[in-house]
Amino acid sequence: MAVDRVDLVVEEGEVRGLLGPNGAGKTTLLRLLFGLVAPDDGAIELFDRPLGSSDSINLDGVAGFVEEPTFYPYLSGRVNLELYAELDGGADAGRVGEVLEQVGLAGRGGDRVSGYSTGMRQRLGIAAALLRSPRLLLLDEPTSGLDPAGARDMGRLVRELAGDGTAVLLSSHLIGDLETVCDSFTVLRLGKVVWNGSAAQLRDQAPGSAYRLATSGDARALEIAEHHPHIHATRSQTGEIRLAVQGRIDAYVLDLGRADIAVRRLELVVSPLESMFFALTTDVELDSAGLAELAEAALAGT
Amino acid sequence: MSATHALRPGEAIPGPASRRHGGVWSVYRAERRKLATQLSTRLLALLCVVGPFAFAGVLKIQTGSPADTLFGVWVHQSGFALSLVVLGFCGAWGFPVLAGVLAGDIFASEDRYGTWKMVLTRSSTRRSLFAGKLLAAFTFSIGLLVLLAVSSLAAGLLLIGDGSLVDLGGRTLSTGHGLALVLAAWLLNVLPMLAFTSLAVLLSIATRNGIVGVIGPALVDLVMQLLLLVGTGVWLHSLLAASAFQGWYTLFTAHPYFGPLVIACIVSLIWIAACLVGSWLLIRRRDFAGTPVSRRPGWVVPVRVAVGSAILVAFLAIASNWGPAGDTAAKLKASLEPTFNSLTLLQQRELGRTVAPGAKLNVLTTCSRRASTPAGPGDWICTLDVFIPQPGAQPFNQTPVTYDVSLQSNGCYKAESPPTFVGQQTMKDAHGNQVVNPLFVIYGCFNPL
Repeated sequence: MAVDRVDLVVEEGEVRGLLGPNGAGKTTLLRLLFGLVAPDDGAIELFDRPLGSSDSINLDGVAGFVEEPTFYPYLSGRVNLELYAELDGGADAGRVGEVLEQVGLAGRGGDRVSGYSTGMRQRLGIAAALLRSPRLLLLDEPTSGLDPAGARDMGRLVRELAGDGTAVLLSSHLIGDLETVCDSFTVLRLGKVVWNGSAAQLRDQAPGSAYRLATSGDARALEIAEHHPHIHATRSQTGEIRLAVQGRIDAYVLDLGRADIAVRRLELVVSPLESMFFALTTDVELDSAGLAELAEAALAGT
Repeated sequence: MSATHALRPGEAIPGPASRRHGGVWSVYRAERRKLATQLSTRLLALLCVVGPFAFAGVLKIQTGSPADTLFGVWVHQSGFALSLVVLGFCGAWGFPVLAGVLAGDIFASEDRYGTWKMVLTRSSTRRSLFAGKLLAAFTFSIGLLVLLAVSSLAAGLLLIGDGSLVDLGGRTLSTGHGLALVLAAWLLNVLPMLAFTSLAVLLSIATRNGIVGVIGPALVDLVMQLLLLVGTGVWLHSLLAASAFQGWYTLFTAHPYFGPLVIACIVSLIWIAACLVGSWLLIRRRDFAGTPVSRRPGWVVPVRVAVGSAILVAFLAIASNWGPAGDTAAKLKASLEPTFNSLTLLQQRELGRTVAPGAKLNVLTTCSRRASTPAGPGDWICTLDVFIPQPGAQPFNQTPVTYDVSLQSNGCYKAESPPTFVGQQTMKDAHGNQVVNPLFVIYGCFNPL
């Protein structure tokens, strides 16, 4: 069973992140929504209408891509879009130019796609989706393969589209890329929804976060941390202070200031979203020790 | 897997009712555009336009002629013959290659570029994608055939002239009659061309490999051409798609027979239907959603395919004896004799001698096959004893003429006689012009069924 009883609501202008570890069923869900696979059992409804397999009429108002957008490399980006538009019955004159402009590829539309970078292809994929004037945009791992600047650009583009009223469902296993883009999140585990809510709710319910800290007086900073029961501070082997925070860190930072300790570096290592994701998709209990372990793992890149 | 799913965006966004939908014609237009932008298609079109002119140009600057092909000896004399020689060559090799290059990659390219998921997430269904791509391939196949027909006729008429065409019964056709028959001959190649296009589509879908799709039809054609050379039976030969390209020959015989022509059309339709049904079943069942499984290159599959193909070809070679013998001495004799008669009269007229309309030579023909079996395609020898009336005690002067006959399984043949019997390939006519000696090479066809 890849997905079971998944119920999602994406509002107009909302960007919903679809999270889950590899194999959680994110891509399967998108394939089902695009009609690329049919459910073995049950039914799929989109816009309150049942979605039949291979019934493209039901894809009205839905656009996007699964896994990665693909194109004919020997043709230009513009011609690729014109061809995809043709498959939808043809685009109005100038529409292709509009969407190229919208995704920032107007100047490169005449170039062959074989010369495009990964980021340009992702943007062209969004342009292809926009040609359908979608009410709902489904994007599968849109930041996959992008460098940090490219991922930021992609996030900005998605926010702009949502600003124009499009509902966006964004699937990714790269939590960091979604954190600043999404208004709400749905977390899948083993094909089932294990959490659903707004970004604010998620931050409130998150088991915590982890930071690394450098100050003008690390020994004193550790002592002050002992007065904050929701903060667990330790020294790493390199001498850095690691903070596992269950709740907010604001009061602790203010106390450091009052004690004339300068905060030279305060880096978020595990965000609330990441800790929530970890808690929801694993069976590990995320107490302060668990958060510290998670931070170590994050810093080690595992 | 069960899934219940509802996504309900806000109602303020315009509804989907105003959207246009893609269908077969949308896919057709997109595929037509893709094909038109491909370098291979453009090169083929250029070849189809320039090729016949280049061929005619080469013929203009040399005295030789492609005598092995039907109508080949007449290419210096009639532009129509040039078009028919081009058609004969294309039927044997050109059309399968054109079909492969055009259609062999039309589906496989979507696999290669990974674009199936993109096209299937537009408004086009599998059915419309299949039909649209197929229509585009058919359109371009027919388009190239028409280009070749027009170009070869134009090259022949412009560079060689509209000299009368001598048909396969030895008759001289008027310009209008010749033109009509040549156009009909090209038209009759449309169905077999579509059969090979369908085969290319099937290979393209089944293997997901553009190279197999492009080369496959030419290889299949090669095997079919070889099968046409072996065996004496008519049934298997008639069922081969390659033989359908040869149905048009019957139009040019003195007494046209339409059995092979009808069978050629039916066989083409069967091939088209079989290939397309197979293609559709494969497309309908294919899982486009999964990540492509990278296949490790190995020898197992190629070896299995090679062994399977070899067994199939061996079986077909044995089956080529299936049915009655099409090429027999009696049929060959019955065809060669009147054709020889007509061509002799033509030769005499060209030499300025008076020939009574409907004059008939007294000829006694014997034909035998240069092989252990008395019937079948291959090399034959025919001796025509011509009895010419003369005054005196001996009323007839017997003149033997021997022809080496190369006979094909479709009943068409080329008969060639050494110059000692019938003179050189060309001769001077009554006006002093160098013309083709009609008796040097005789082309003819009979009904093998």
